[in-house]
Amino acid sequence: MAATMFSSSLVDTADHHPELRSSVAGVAGKFGRKYFQDVVKRDAKPTELWEALAESGFLGVHIPTEYGGGGGGMGDYNIVIEETAAQGCPVLSLVIGSITAPIITHHGSEDMKDKWLPGIAAGNLRMSFAITEPDAGTNTHRITTTAKPNGDGWLLSGTKYYTSGVDEADSILVVARSGEADASGRHQLSLFIVAADAPGITCQDIPCVVQAAEKQFTVFFDDVELGPEALIGVEGNGLRQVFAGLNPERIAAAAINNGIARYGLETASQYAQDRVVWNNPIGAHQGVAHPLAAAYIGVQQARLMNARAAELYDAGSEEAGEVANMAKFAAADSSLVALDQSIQTLGGNGLALEYGLADLWFVARLHKTAPVSREMILNFVAQHSLGLPKSY
Amino acid sequence: MKVVVCVKQIPDPADPGALDPETRTLKRDVKLILDESDSYGVEMALQLVDAAGEGEVILVSMAPNGERSGLATALAMGAASAILISDPELVGSDALTTAKLLATAVKDQGADLIIAGSESSDGYTGVVPEQIAGVLDLPSVTAAKSIEVDGSSIKVQRQTDGGYDDVTCPLPAVVSVTAGVVEPRYPSFKGIMAAKNKPVEEKSAADLGFDASQVGWAGAGQEIIEVTDAPKRQAGEVIEDDGEAFTKIVAYLENMKVI
Repeated sequence: MAATMFSSSLVDTADHHPELRSSVAGVAGKFGRKYFQDVVKRDAKPTELWEALAESGFLGVHIPTEYGGGGGGMGDYNIVIEETAAQGCPVLSLVIGSITAPIITHHGSEDMKDKWLPGIAAGNLRMSFAITEPDAGTNTHRITTTAKPNGDGWLLSGTKYYTSGVDEADSILVVARSGEADASGRHQLSLFIVAADAPGITCQDIPCVVQAAEKQFTVFFDDVELGPEALIGVEGNGLRQVFAGLNPERIAAAAINNGIARYGLETASQYAQDRVVWNNPIGAHQGVAHPLAAAYIGVQQARLMNARAAELYDAGSEEAGEVANMAKFAAADSSLVALDQSIQTLGGNGLALEYGLADLWFVARLHKTAPVSREMILNFVAQHSLGLPKSY
Repeated sequence: MKVVVCVKQIPDPADPGALDPETRTLKRDVKLILDESDSYGVEMALQLVDAAGEGEVILVSMAPNGERSGLATALAMGAASAILISDPELVGSDALTTAKLLATAVKDQGADLIIAGSESSDGYTGVVPEQIAGVLDLPSVTAAKSIEVDGSSIKVQRQTDGGYDDVTCPLPAVVSVTAGVVEPRYPSFKGIMAAKNKPVEEKSAADLGFDASQVGWAGAGQEIIEVTDAPKRQAGEVIEDDGEAFTKIVAYLENMKVI
């Protein structure tokens, strides 16, 4: 299905964006929803789609050209992710690339950039991102995974939780505590790139309901030896550095949901055009049409906000964080409304795998919880945008 | 090897088009896209240049309002540059005028080969490639499904109702390409970004040596007198299944000589 119903002139911010959209939709559309469902059903990976996206340079649009990328930004990567998802292929690994590549680009050493960025752009090197811990979810300051000095490097120990795609990863970008606590008792954080097969790492998968190709893992680090080259940027500067990846992650997560919402509404609108139960297509009934129209408006708002968040991020604006958070919030909520209404429009068929809607539910629902919860975004907006007292 | 590809930019067939009731021609004041039937010619030209190991693909297009969106697609696919013929004087030009203008723009390019789609997806006159060959006094091969360069000539497989003809033709030549015979590439990100800096030279009718009386409505040798809707499809035959329906279906298929 080539996506044509959703106007993108509202959201595109560069003159090459329509061409990029159409090309990504063409490449991903050769695979489509049935392919993706089959991959998930077989517990396989969408390797062919991944390679096709890589071959067209879409995996590295946001990576500088000197490191094998396209030299664009999150404005472009947003389109790559959204158009792929809009073809019924919500590739969560694309979100990981939105975290790791910008962190390395902004804070990595030259050696690190040379080693990882061309591979990420070419799709043949994969990196997971490990931040969440069983006892430190949203509160990153409570991270206990620790890098202890060891010769000229470190020994890494601790447990990470809900680390996506470790089974496919060549390495893991780990957020860990290092150095002594400051006067307020807070530990400094540092970022490391750790080989995924390093001695001392064990992984255990966390069975999840999300029907995605990417699996979730608990990752145990038991005195994993790190050399000095493993450190990203400056020791103790990890919290500041990690935001180079967390804001794009919100934009990328929103892009997945905006794409899913488009897939749902396009499927449902076509169905409502064709399906005649009495004398008219069911889409002629306002009880069917209006909720779909309202959902469309919500999705367009979310897409507009996300495109703007990406534009602000690419411009280095201080406000990119607030807008990226709000865009993720808007995309999660509006996509769930859109997908639910799409399922409803199809009646019983809404739940049939043949139509490919209901099995998108938990992928969309995921982003109401991750990468940052709806509630934490409301806390952030209440405190930083409205100046209300901090609630936690 | 230098290949010129004639491409048309047309209203998106996915959007319902409209006819201008005055002129009975398609309204073209919307955003135009690359005619899909021309993307096969672009792909074939790019493959020929790749196979030759040197050369380039140059686009020639005629479109209203300086429209370049469709050219951007073909440039992003890998064409090196484009010539865009655009001029308010050209509104109403017929197929032969279009061919004369395109041929004039092509003439100075020193092309080894000129490729065009067999027919556009909006006008469907299906004569422009042959008219270009006529104007330039070049050999013309139609309905190509494959082209192979062999020194100073080409071997073309020319699609026919029963199969294909093998045709050999000296270069330079004009070849029209059948839609669907190759898989046009989707532009890569690098291609899309590079297309922004590729030269598009815009030419008016006067630049090509035509005056107002020779082009547009004034110069057209054809006129659209009437437009009528295509006849509605007849209702199909309904066979009620009384347990013996298959015999009627077999008889029907036999009658059609399908089985």
